[in-house]
Amino acid sequence: MNRDGGFEFPLVKRTPSRFRNPIGKYRLNRSTACIACGKCVEICPYGVHSMVKGKVVVRNHYLCVGEDCPNPCHEACPVKALALRRNPDFAVMGDFRWPPDLIVSTWRMAEFGQAPDKGLEYRIGESGGGFDKLRIVFGPGKAEDDSGDKHEGAKADLGVKLNRRGDNAHRIRIEVPFYGGGMSYGSVSINTMLSRVKAATALGTFCCTGEGGYPDELKPYDEHVITQVATGLFGVREETIQRVKIVEFKYAQGAKPGLGGHLLGDKVTPGVARMREAVVGYPLFSPFPFHSVYSVEDHKKHVDWIKAINPKALVSVKVSTPTDVDMVAVGSYYAGAHIIHLDGSYGGTGAAPDIAKKNIAMPIEYAVPKVHRFLTEEGVRDKITVVASGGIRTPHDVAKIIALGADAVCIGTADLVALECIRCHNCESGRGCARGIATTDPELMDLVSLDWGAQRIVNMYSAWCKELRRILGRLGMKSIRELVGKRECLIHLDYN
Amino acid sequence: MRSLNNADAILASRKGLLEDQPSDSRYETEAEGGCGVTGFACSIPVRGRHIFEPSSQMHNRGNGRGGGIAAMGFDHRMLGISREALNEDYILQIAVLEEGVIDALEEQFIKPFLRVDLRERLPHVDDYRDIKGLETAPPEVFRYLVRVRPEALNAFVEKKGLHGLKSREAEDEFIYQNSFLINKKYYEPYGKKLAFVLSHGRNFFILKIVGYAEQVVQYYKLDDFKAHIWIAHQRYPTKGRVWHPAGAHPFIGLNEALVHNGDFANYHSVTEYLRQKNIHPLFLTDTEVSVLLFDLYSRVYRYPLEYVIEALAPTMERDFDQLDSEKQSIYRAIQATHIHGSPDGPWFFIVARNDTGAGRLQLIGITDTSMLRPQVFALHDGQVQVGLICSEKQAIDATLKSLSEEDPRVGTVADRYWNARGGSHTDGGSFIFNLDETPGDPLERQLTCVDKFGRPISVPAGKVPYLPGTVYYLMPVEDGGRSEASRFFELQQPDELYDYILEGLKSWDYSGFMECLKDIRNWALKGEAHFDVALNTLTRLLDMRYPTYDKKRRSVLQMLNQTLENMLRNLPTLEDTEAQGSYRFIDWETRHLFRGPSYNEKALVIDASLFPPEGDNCDSRLLAEAYLRGWRRFIVLGLRGQRFHGCGLGADSGGVRIDIFGSSGDYLASGIDGLSIYVHGNAQDQLGQIMKAGKLVIYGDVGQTFMYGAKGGEVYVMGNAAGRPLINAVGKPRVVINGTCLDYLAESFMAGDPHNGGGFVILNAMTFDDEGNAVPLANPYPGSNLFSLASGGAIYLRDPYRLVDDQQLNGGEIVPISEDDWRLVLPYLNENEMLFGISIDRDLLVVDGEKKSPLEVYRKVRPRKGLEKTDDGLDEWT
Repeated sequence: MNRDGGFEFPLVKRTPSRFRNPIGKYRLNRSTACIACGKCVEICPYGVHSMVKGKVVVRNHYLCVGEDCPNPCHEACPVKALALRRNPDFAVMGDFRWPPDLIVSTWRMAEFGQAPDKGLEYRIGESGGGFDKLRIVFGPGKAEDDSGDKHEGAKADLGVKLNRRGDNAHRIRIEVPFYGGGMSYGSVSINTMLSRVKAATALGTFCCTGEGGYPDELKPYDEHVITQVATGLFGVREETIQRVKIVEFKYAQGAKPGLGGHLLGDKVTPGVARMREAVVGYPLFSPFPFHSVYSVEDHKKHVDWIKAINPKALVSVKVSTPTDVDMVAVGSYYAGAHIIHLDGSYGGTGAAPDIAKKNIAMPIEYAVPKVHRFLTEEGVRDKITVVASGGIRTPHDVAKIIALGADAVCIGTADLVALECIRCHNCESGRGCARGIATTDPELMDLVSLDWGAQRIVNMYSAWCKELRRILGRLGMKSIRELVGKRECLIHLDYN
Repeated sequence: MRSLNNADAILASRKGLLEDQPSDSRYETEAEGGCGVTGFACSIPVRGRHIFEPSSQMHNRGNGRGGGIAAMGFDHRMLGISREALNEDYILQIAVLEEGVIDALEEQFIKPFLRVDLRERLPHVDDYRDIKGLETAPPEVFRYLVRVRPEALNAFVEKKGLHGLKSREAEDEFIYQNSFLINKKYYEPYGKKLAFVLSHGRNFFILKIVGYAEQVVQYYKLDDFKAHIWIAHQRYPTKGRVWHPAGAHPFIGLNEALVHNGDFANYHSVTEYLRQKNIHPLFLTDTEVSVLLFDLYSRVYRYPLEYVIEALAPTMERDFDQLDSEKQSIYRAIQATHIHGSPDGPWFFIVARNDTGAGRLQLIGITDTSMLRPQVFALHDGQVQVGLICSEKQAIDATLKSLSEEDPRVGTVADRYWNARGGSHTDGGSFIFNLDETPGDPLERQLTCVDKFGRPISVPAGKVPYLPGTVYYLMPVEDGGRSEASRFFELQQPDELYDYILEGLKSWDYSGFMECLKDIRNWALKGEAHFDVALNTLTRLLDMRYPTYDKKRRSVLQMLNQTLENMLRNLPTLEDTEAQGSYRFIDWETRHLFRGPSYNEKALVIDASLFPPEGDNCDSRLLAEAYLRGWRRFIVLGLRGQRFHGCGLGADSGGVRIDIFGSSGDYLASGIDGLSIYVHGNAQDQLGQIMKAGKLVIYGDVGQTFMYGAKGGEVYVMGNAAGRPLINAVGKPRVVINGTCLDYLAESFMAGDPHNGGGFVILNAMTFDDEGNAVPLANPYPGSNLFSLASGGAIYLRDPYRLVDDQQLNGGEIVPISEDDWRLVLPYLNENEMLFGISIDRDLLVVDGEKKSPLEVYRKVRPRKGLEKTDDGLDEWT
């Protein structure tokens, strides 16, 4: 499974949580009645219990699958010393879009490189809309055993070509149908950035720097970095544009269309200020829009400029999803873009203001088919790569948005969840993140180590790839390309 | 109140037209981006081919999905009609998209009501495919010269209750309504497209196609067709492989044609506003509603032009406060009435208007209050007067060049170039070129230029332009030649040669000057050392300001440019490996010879004229490649729309020097990191973006969003910066602007502490008078939003009279400068003095003829302190 058309996929290595007691869905309470008979240790398929010096302890609560367990220990216990409870911490995490099930199952994937087979819903969230109302329709054929490597899709090609213009720019293929979205140095720590980039390198894909500059630490990974030219132009220099193979223009973000990026004063530490050459402790606001781009011909000039600096670079244009997003897409194509990146409204970390995040921009599952259809009618669909982002959380979301017409997706939040983000939505406040992810505080950021972080992300994506191959196998497809725009593979629970 | 009632009557009379038009809950335009617009007005009628060059140069502003032109003010003989017919008749032009509909159209809308003095099918190229790049057949166009038959007009007045109108006004309205009915019947934007009215005004017409604007000229054979005013538009619609030509600009009101660059955010509300006046757009573009607004204000409400402009681009905020109270009360009334119809968003209009009442043709440029679109105005005076309005200065220069090739009375350089400050109290954001009839030749008009408030824009009086071809008699002088330039070459004294020429300008006529330039050119060919003297001297003469006495500065510049280009084009090419000297010349024809420098070759002279403006084969790419091959010194000339100079050289390009002559393009020096660029003349938009280090010197004005997101560098601007310079700049840029800025100078400036390696801007607020002396501007900074939301850096402002006030700031504060500050800026002002001749002691520190201390003359704008950090131990950085 690791050999795939010459590309060697990275190995999965089990990478457990950084914390002693990872949060799981269930707790097993052991009463004093326990006689340490070892029955539970023996029958538990998940290694929840272990025998330590003649005493039985619950070592790994978080691995317990609760009611889904085929050999429930609490029922088998001869003295009924075990009681199965929901973990109260579990219920308070996340939100409807990222319910605790998804968070914990993502952690599980990041640890084991495998989707959890029981006890957790890892495919959909609870938002009651969007991807959570879409289902992939597998044919009537029986669901054969596709957990191993033998099923039909196990060899399916997940790679995506990014340059379809056939011009002089780099011919780039990514091995997986996703790459890492922009998160700036300053909004997340350098360790987080490096973990993501290192994982992207291992997976044969890319990761975007965001607009907070291009730290020198990323240099070893230049071949797999997308640098962002965003409205604040922080840290953007000729040198950084020339260093990379893909340059991304960020016109807008789906989470906050009409607003530029902003970094509150508290997070502007001396390190961040140095990188952006700004003033310590002052909030940094990126304007909206580009002051030099107020219309599509300005945009063309802007693209031409980047091509003048780095003629071989692929140009990606990241836009949010206004109602005329199809026009924006076709305009970008004619201006010379290789990738049109549609950022829908479900995305964004905690830092985007709620009023924006929850109220503007078109949901991505509307925008993508609209653009796909329009570009097809224009006859240019096969000349441009459509990348979707904004609230894509699971491999099933990836399959759904590709079936709606995207070629690939761009992932942000899931990476952070793999690093044990608990979706507390406090990314912007103070020095940022209690889990050391979205922080610039020198002490907090050491909570994440590079090797650990990179492996966690690799593991998660390996699990995603497995899932995607299973999906393709079930659909009878040999390549992810076949899925693009196959809307008949989907049904909407409310409208069909 | 007569006219008001008439206005109501006119609007009421249109009610019937709209009955079957849907009143949508949401009016939408076809998505459309910006475009390139260009226009010029000339005192004599000139050929259509002159709109060709600027249009094709702005190709990158369109995508070939729509181009259009309007021509206004004709020679009646070219149309084959009498002068009376030309003045009195309406020129109705109908584009037919579907064979055979014209007969029915004529039967229904023309024959019963209109007296047709001329009917013709416009000649055109037989096969549109003969025109390179034209993919869609342009429409067949029928032209009618018409008047409304008296009986039809009477019936119309009767039926519509327009008794209060003068006969001509009623006739105007008839034509307007008749065209609306034709369009309504024959053109549905989402349905059948059979025919539509291109234009119906007096003494002008419009043509539009699916293609580029210059192809209109080619297809309809307008190369030799003459008119006083030409405007053109390159459209960049983003939808549809096949587009309908009716969506292209210009659009008509009645006697005006309008082209537009930009788009509105409030198309829906403007459309609703028009709907209240019984006006309904049919072509789904914001440009159409713009001209409908213009027509409503000017023809129906009969506002004077100033009020029309105010209704479109209201005067806001501090600028409003600066108006006198009488104007304020009028403007307030206009705004209260029309603010819902005011287009919101980035836009720039060029309007060609036949003010039939005054017998005057007008070319009008109006910019939006926020100045979000680029615009340049230029005025060329002389025996032939030209007023020009364009999106880019390069297009202006191209127009002048094209005109001067046909008529040597037109120079290649204009007397004045300037930008408008949108919605301002200073110029109103609008300039108007008026063409008035002259008593003598009916084809010769008098061109004048005024701003929105009617204040004239003029050029220095009493100066004679150079006329090539005119015989200037050489007075025989002893020793044969009149020029003594030779001796400065022999002695290698460029400075003294420069002084000699300045002195000589006093007494020479053009022939003397020409003689001297000829000498210089001849010497330049005699060897490297002489070439350097010549190049130095000519460059300095191009850059600096000095009195030109009885001669026009533009003519002097034109001759200098010619000499310089001639000299540079004579340099050996790269083929010539045996050639003497260290300069080598490359152009489009010889680019295949491109190679790295051999050991004695130092400077590469690039003639950009035939290179494409962008893409893999453009000259800026060649320059970057040449840098990699080892060239370090560049001279670029002959620019025609090329851009991106200095881009792509990468980090640490110190030691490289680029000199740019002629019309430099957008994005110049954007991203440079170390090299020096000298722009000999005005510069365009988006210069120095993300500039990291290096030196940029601009001997003129600079356009919009200058140094956006810049990180550093040393920059000297001889003139003004237009809107939004230095936004979001960080790091350590150090900038001297000798003129002023229109608005938003250094918004969100984050350039640290100037005394500790951070950046700053010195705004000298000076200008040059006609004699080339540096004199202070009346208003050091006319706009508001100075240094708003800035967190670092400083602006040093020459403001001895303390005219800039707190109202112009937003988050900053004005403080006196300290000795330390002065020590910080002094080296930059010294360099500035060296570059531009603006002396610290004789110019900058002199106030009312008296030398003052710098502490009295300069002021400092700095960010107001941020949140005070507390001492509770939680703050970790100090």
